[in-house]
Amino acid sequence: MAVQYGTEDEGDDSMLHAPSDTEYPLLDRVKSTYTSLPTYQLPKGEDRHYQQQYADMYFARLAQIKPAVEQIASEAWADFGIAGEKALRKDRVLDVRQGELCWVIGTVYMEMPLKPNVLEDIGKEHWIAAPPPRVKYDSGMANGDSEHGAHAGGGKGLSGAQIMLEDESGRLRLTGSYLEGGLLVTGAIVAVVGTENADGDFEVLEIRVPDLPRQPPRWETEDGDAAVNGKSASQKRSKAGKVAIVSGLGMSGDEGDTLSLDMLMEYLLGESAEPGSQEDASAISRLIIAGNSLSHGSPIPSREEMAAVAKKVGRKTYGYDSSSYNKAPTDRLDQWLASLLPSMPITLLPGEQDPTSTSLPQQPIHAAMFPHSRAYMNAPAANEGAGWFDSTTNPAECSVDGWRLLATGGQPVDDVYKYLPDCEERLEMMEAMLRWRLTAPTAPDTLWCYPFQDGDQFVLKECPHVYIVGNQPKFETVVIEGPVGQQVRLVAVPKFKDTGELVLLDCETLVPEVVKFEVFEEG
Amino acid sequence: MAQDYTEWLAINVLNEQQLISYRSLSRALKVHSNLAKQMLYDFHHKQNAKKPGSVHATYLITGTKIKEAPLANGGHSQHDGEDTVMQSSPPLPSSSAPQTEEQHHEPIEVRTVMLAKEEHLENAKASFESVTGIHIYSLQAKGLSDVRVLTECNRKIAADYASEDPLEAWKQYGTIQNSNVKRRTQRRQPPPPPAATAGATKAKVATTTKPAPLDKQASKESQELKPASRPTLAKATPEPSKKPATTKRQNSDIFKSFAKGKTKEQEQESQSSAEPSPKPPAEDEPMADFSNEESGEDVDEADAMETVVKGPEGKSKEKREADLQAMMDQEDEMMDDAAEAAPEVDQDEGAIDKPDSQTAEEPKETVEVENGRRRGRRRVMKKKNFKDEDGYLVTKEEAAWESFSEDEPPAKKIKGPSVTTMQQPKQVAGGKKAGKPGQGNIMSFFGKK
Repeated sequence: MAVQYGTEDEGDDSMLHAPSDTEYPLLDRVKSTYTSLPTYQLPKGEDRHYQQQYADMYFARLAQIKPAVEQIASEAWADFGIAGEKALRKDRVLDVRQGELCWVIGTVYMEMPLKPNVLEDIGKEHWIAAPPPRVKYDSGMANGDSEHGAHAGGGKGLSGAQIMLEDESGRLRLTGSYLEGGLLVTGAIVAVVGTENADGDFEVLEIRVPDLPRQPPRWETEDGDAAVNGKSASQKRSKAGKVAIVSGLGMSGDEGDTLSLDMLMEYLLGESAEPGSQEDASAISRLIIAGNSLSHGSPIPSREEMAAVAKKVGRKTYGYDSSSYNKAPTDRLDQWLASLLPSMPITLLPGEQDPTSTSLPQQPIHAAMFPHSRAYMNAPAANEGAGWFDSTTNPAECSVDGWRLLATGGQPVDDVYKYLPDCEERLEMMEAMLRWRLTAPTAPDTLWCYPFQDGDQFVLKECPHVYIVGNQPKFETVVIEGPVGQQVRLVAVPKFKDTGELVLLDCETLVPEVVKFEVFEEG
Repeated sequence: MAQDYTEWLAINVLNEQQLISYRSLSRALKVHSNLAKQMLYDFHHKQNAKKPGSVHATYLITGTKIKEAPLANGGHSQHDGEDTVMQSSPPLPSSSAPQTEEQHHEPIEVRTVMLAKEEHLENAKASFESVTGIHIYSLQAKGLSDVRVLTECNRKIAADYASEDPLEAWKQYGTIQNSNVKRRTQRRQPPPPPAATAGATKAKVATTTKPAPLDKQASKESQELKPASRPTLAKATPEPSKKPATTKRQNSDIFKSFAKGKTKEQEQESQSSAEPSPKPPAEDEPMADFSNEESGEDVDEADAMETVVKGPEGKSKEKREADLQAMMDQEDEMMDDAAEAAPEVDQDEGAIDKPDSQTAEEPKETVEVENGRRRGRRRVMKKKNFKDEDGYLVTKEEAAWESFSEDEPPAKKIKGPSVTTMQQPKQVAGGKKAGKPGQGNIMSFFGKK
């Protein structure tokens, strides 16, 4: 087969020959062991209520995370003292007395000049021109100029913001140079040590966070299931393949954006490229789509879209307008998925722009959207584990080849990003969220979410092995370590529409690689 | 086989001037995709040897690209990564394992799959550090103005080979197989692939590149697809019910009310004839699982249908079946010309309720005087409420015939606008009377002061 032709760096050019009699082996795809975990599924039908107050979520969150922080802080600050004075533990924020060195636990609340505000939103309706959408919530006002300048201590160069610590009893304004370098957003649960100064503000000397929770060993989920079913847990497992992760397919129904999607599909099917690459492709055992498969699928049009429609149509229409509905993108997505499904299983997470609920946790995209692909889904009533085509929640937790995987469509990171004026490091934010044990710290403050009653579902109970965040500006990855040897692989997955990048994650080593699809442009 | 593919390619690429990708070739000749790539190469090579430039190719290159200096695709921000806040400032408080430099600059393998036109091939290859493989992606007779047109190939494959079972047929194309695939047998057929849109976009694309032949192809294609999609229409339950619905909309005249009953009935008929069990199989009922209201509606509707079926009597089953047959036959014509179909339906409706529809043909009003009573038929304007395509409620005034006699209860007389013309003087007087109390009120208002 390896006929010499051309220069050496041509690689495999067997495809540039007249048809040969070579029999190409039929490639069989590596098996994917997969369990979908129902962590972020909301109650169905009548059990889902929206009348609850969001305040309960903060109480629940504080109650859930407080013991962990307490343990860490009491260990760390057992003999923390300044000038012979030892730091005392205070149970409530309001128990803090002026001039007393102490530590206390609470929820961070950030007051920022440009944070979204309901009253302001209503006011917006009457403005002639709506202000541009915010990149950051901080105004970037010079330090000291504003009224609150003296208190503005915030992390990452916050200027107009105030950081507060609250619990059920009250609030405490935090200040001090320690906050400058740190990374804090609303909703995080932290322990702070310091003293209250003459202004009534709390001078922070140090902060502790809950840090990574317990990490289950690999195969724990499967072994547990096996034990329950009475099978032997120590079965032989075949070598795991790779998981392909993509996000932001952004199907819009236009002609232009589909070529790279076709190339991606052909690559995954093992039809394009040379036999060597085809074999590589057969090691890909699963495709995970991390949000934003459609570019305009959200059921709630954005303010900008509404304005555009109103301008175009000239009259105001309320509710659903069938004439403006374009079914091409959903058709295209369905067809695209249906052409991959015969060859590989797919996990589909919704994203910000996808046609499902808009508040986190987003519920699975309905099967009715996939007339062709739904044959590969589980029957709705069936109780038989994860489907071949698994339309799941966002965020989603699952077990892939024994590893615990946590994936989101990217909204929580995007929102945390807005809190941090000078920070562009997405990986750092992802790490911070894991160490806070929160998948969506800023919900419900600035991120829409379901009003949980019995405990905050966004609190991480177990540490994942892989944390995937979709729809990020570029591909990034890092491994972080926890206090008791936990290791987490963080992967920021870029938007496919913008970058053409597919991330392959080796399920033995957890080392990612990138496959980039592009069309050569002259110049 | 050698002759086969040369001939096929000659016809499709040179004569028909189509875009042929290795995928379309492998599907057309039922060969492995790798073999198809070689066939494309062979054809391209031979044709261009005969007549240079007669066939144009696009190539797919896989390999590793030369890393760009600012490393846009390398994953890590190396440019100023070293002195970002991350490293210089204390990271997260209590992050027990500070990140090492190695971890942060872990080398990530980036492979590239690139599509390039023939004329850019050398430049494209030059951007690669190492090329692992290269093959011809597609062939076309003339140069390719826009690479994006290539998506047409896959769109056509999806449309033309939709009837193939991917689990069986794809083996011969060399698609990676998966022995673990789980697929339900769907009793409800998925909608046919968007053949019409494919044709339409095809035509649109064609205008930019090569108008005449492709256009022809598009129409041919849609004609070919028609018979293919027919059986699925007949099989799938939702389709027949949709058809009468459209006729209902067209009949926005007096017959509407009858048509409604009629279509319901036919719907029922067609369902029972097409499928023995009108209820969808329990297995395939995802909607019910998500919203209970909908399933409830379904039941209601089914009930309603049944009652409607019982409603019109005096019409034999055979007759109804014949009507149904006629309706089914009309389907295609109706799609073409809705207006033409409408009168035919009207005659069908007439069968249900003869007197009314016949009088509709009568041109003049008749009034008989008999035993001191006036009887007859007259034309009246009636208000009709119905929903249009956009879901709006529309109220229309339409001419309708009604029979009347002097003995009729007065309430009914007042209802019709024509009655007002008869009693005009009285009504005018009434109007004045109605005006007076209003004035009186005003006077009393002033009177109080």
